Amino acid sequence: MSGGVYGGDEVGALVFDFGAYTTRAGYAGEDSPKVEFPTHVGVVEGAEPMDTGATGDKPQGAEKKVYIDYNSLFVARENMEMTTPLKDGMIEDWDLFQMILDHIYKKHIHSEPELHPVLMSEAPWNVRGKRERLTELMFEHYNIPAFFLSKTAVLSAFANGRSTGIVVDSGATSTTVVPVHDGYVLQQAIVKSPLAGDFITMQCRQLFQELNIDVIPPYQIAAKEQVRDTAAPVWKKKNVPTTTKSFHNYMVDEVLRDFQASVLQLSDSPYEEQVAVQMPTIHYELPNGYNQDFGSERFRVCEALFDPSVVKGMASNTMLGVGHSVTTSVGMCDIDLRPALYGSVVVTGGNSLLSGFTDRLNKELSSKTPPSMRLKMIHNSGTAERRFSSWIGGSILASLGTFQQMWISKQEYEEAGKGCVERKCP
Amino acid sequence: MATTSDVRDILELSGPSGQEGEGGTPRENIMKTKKVKKLSDTPTFKRPEGMHREVYALLFSDNNSTYFRDAPPIIPSASNQGYRTLKAKLGRSKVRPWKFMPFTNPARKDGAIFNHWRRVADEGKDYPFARFNKSVQAPIYSEQEYQLHLHEEGWTRPETDHLFGLCRKFDLRWFVIHDRYDHDQFKKRSIEDLKERYYNICSKLTKIRAPPGQEPKVYVFDADHERRRKEQLERLFNRTPEQVKEEEYLNQELKKIEMRKKEREKKTQDLQKLITAADSSDARRSERKSTKKKLLTKEKRESSGSVDIPTGIKFPDFKQAGVSLRSQRMKLPSSVGQKKVKAIEQLLEELGIDLYPMPTEEICREFNELRSDMVFLYDLKLAYANCEFELQTLRHRFEALAPGKMPLTVLPTTVGPSTSGAAPAESEESPTRKKASDIIDVVSTGPSTPQRKRRVSAADPGSAIKKTKKL
Repeated sequence: MSGGVYGGDEVGALVFDFGAYTTRAGYAGEDSPKVEFPTHVGVVEGAEPMDTGATGDKPQGAEKKVYIDYNSLFVARENMEMTTPLKDGMIEDWDLFQMILDHIYKKHIHSEPELHPVLMSEAPWNVRGKRERLTELMFEHYNIPAFFLSKTAVLSAFANGRSTGIVVDSGATSTTVVPVHDGYVLQQAIVKSPLAGDFITMQCRQLFQELNIDVIPPYQIAAKEQVRDTAAPVWKKKNVPTTTKSFHNYMVDEVLRDFQASVLQLSDSPYEEQVAVQMPTIHYELPNGYNQDFGSERFRVCEALFDPSVVKGMASNTMLGVGHSVTTSVGMCDIDLRPALYGSVVVTGGNSLLSGFTDRLNKELSSKTPPSMRLKMIHNSGTAERRFSSWIGGSILASLGTFQQMWISKQEYEEAGKGCVERKCP
Repeated sequence: MATTSDVRDILELSGPSGQEGEGGTPRENIMKTKKVKKLSDTPTFKRPEGMHREVYALLFSDNNSTYFRDAPPIIPSASNQGYRTLKAKLGRSKVRPWKFMPFTNPARKDGAIFNHWRRVADEGKDYPFARFNKSVQAPIYSEQEYQLHLHEEGWTRPETDHLFGLCRKFDLRWFVIHDRYDHDQFKKRSIEDLKERYYNICSKLTKIRAPPGQEPKVYVFDADHERRRKEQLERLFNRTPEQVKEEEYLNQELKKIEMRKKEREKKTQDLQKLITAADSSDARRSERKSTKKKLLTKEKRESSGSVDIPTGIKFPDFKQAGVSLRSQRMKLPSSVGQKKVKAIEQLLEELGIDLYPMPTEEICREFNELRSDMVFLYDLKLAYANCEFELQTLRHRFEALAPGKMPLTVLPTTVGPSTSGAAPAESEESPTRKKASDIIDVVSTGPSTPQRKRRVSAADPGSAIKKTKKL
């Protein structure tokens, strides 16, 4: 150990953080993950095993081939379906999940699993059966010396230096609001809403359909020429094998995500056409060379995050905007706890990087909270810190000297069985 | 002082003048080789960009003796080490090596072994973070104890066990306990219910287990109070913005009303004052009219030392609404000047009377009367002194105008009664207050004199003296 000053003690632990969009992994005690790649994997069913696919991992007895990580995933292949092992933040497809873990150990950690304790993040609403199965998998299959499961919200709060607070995590599939007290999630007060990154991507897709613009992903483009504003694009199609719909959609979404990150902005106050029109436009060029200025659309598309009633074809009362989610969640907590929660509203998740997101949330909350309540938003300005906050929290937690007593050790697992995860990792 | 090198510096010429290019004097030419050698021996520093010439000159003196860059200090410095210690002494001890070693954590019950880097010297020592392992001790009750003492309406044994299990697991973090409480299996309970049950059991157990004859200290949890408090807070929290605004508005209105009320009170007071003043001035006028005839004989004088209506202190009628202290009645009204207050205090001291006596009804009245008389006396004395003085000056003037023809008549009579009590001239009776005020009025007759002037002169007899001196 190195002095009691920072209280750290590293035991070579690994931290895994499976997100809906990307997976992060790395050594505890470092400030950013060693590796980050999409949680989505490409699966080719019934293909004969190939020797060339060095990056493809094949589980014994299965005739499917799985492609993981950017380099192999983003290659256009025939019959490759994009799937994800997760569903609603929880592990659904255990085979795929195991393959991803194998891939991480083999390609990025380059070390034996039995040497490193593992801290893994989980969704705050994870169910007992899945937690136990995961514990079993880690101890039985990977033979790790120790294991710990922690909720993403708790880890995000730790990454922002808080043990109590309300964590607003706007990720890919869902925006969740989770109150955390003393490092424990208050499960009764979790508020989840599907208004998140993927939803915005869908809205963007609709926008391009309305505007009659074809979004061509880069993998189909061999060459393009520069064209004028809003002129028809001139580009050459690349000779690629016919891909599956899911792969194509994923690639289109990648383009849209880029569009989302570079063009969209949340207005400070509820969307108004007159105001939005006067805002500066942003020029964006699609991969096939088509380019256009985007004006009021920039604000209109993502307005639904805070005001679901603007979404067409959706009952407005079924979903909660982000600001509303926070107040609802806090409202479900004990009155004595509310000042502490409003005192540290931790904003995290990749979708929260939409420009204007935190400002808008701050404005909404300050208008909704009683004047006697002190409202403080905690959000890291760094992109990596915001996207990887739960991994970073795990990295901090697993490298603390005082944490080393918390691990479920192999001995404990062998004595008490997989049920001990409920007891040890509440 | 600019030296040659300064000039060189300014011109940004390198090396001594004329060394390069211009040839220079023969002597320099001869010296040239030597000098070049010298320069190459010692490191030459060029003035860094942005550094002031003067600062640079401090660092590198320009006495051509490039060897002695640092001028010797004028005062011998105390330490002979100073900057001369070339090597910094980092870490006096030997290098302490680190080792990757297995360890067990005493805070763990399973004796799991992890590996970490640690100093070789610390090998075998306890894990330093184990001492942070603290947990709350929730009491444990036996079956018998539960059966005998811990039964409570609405609580079953399994539920109590569940509660205590959670208390142990979450170290009495009530929010979390409430959150993880099995509300499906057992009935829905609030945090206060849980707390009440827990603390009741705790206090019962401590009472049971305490040695007989000793009253142990128990923590009393007032659940009802907590419930009321929370309800109150909840209500406060759930106010709509409109309600908050309304409250603010009402508060402001209240303030306004109070301000208006105060203003009205002040106005009535002022009015009261005016009325009383008018009354007294009416009385005075009528008195004056009656006395004026008597005063016709009096000369119109340049009044200087005169006092206006010295009738002692007028204590205001106590008419404030509501309850008040009686001692308030003893308070001197603000119309009484600082000087008079001082005089009263002095007199009271002389008489050996407490400055603030116990304000009974009687004492109050008497004390006020006494002080009123005191002020009255003080005024009279002042008036007397003024008159005396005036008399003297007049006498002197008379002397100067018509020496030797000093009339020995009239004037003393006016002053007489206030001092002696014998009543000459117009007053045969003993000098009651009313009478005296007449007399004083007599003294103060000077209709032409402006009010302000009179007051000033009354307050400050010195000014009267000055005035007379001018004359």
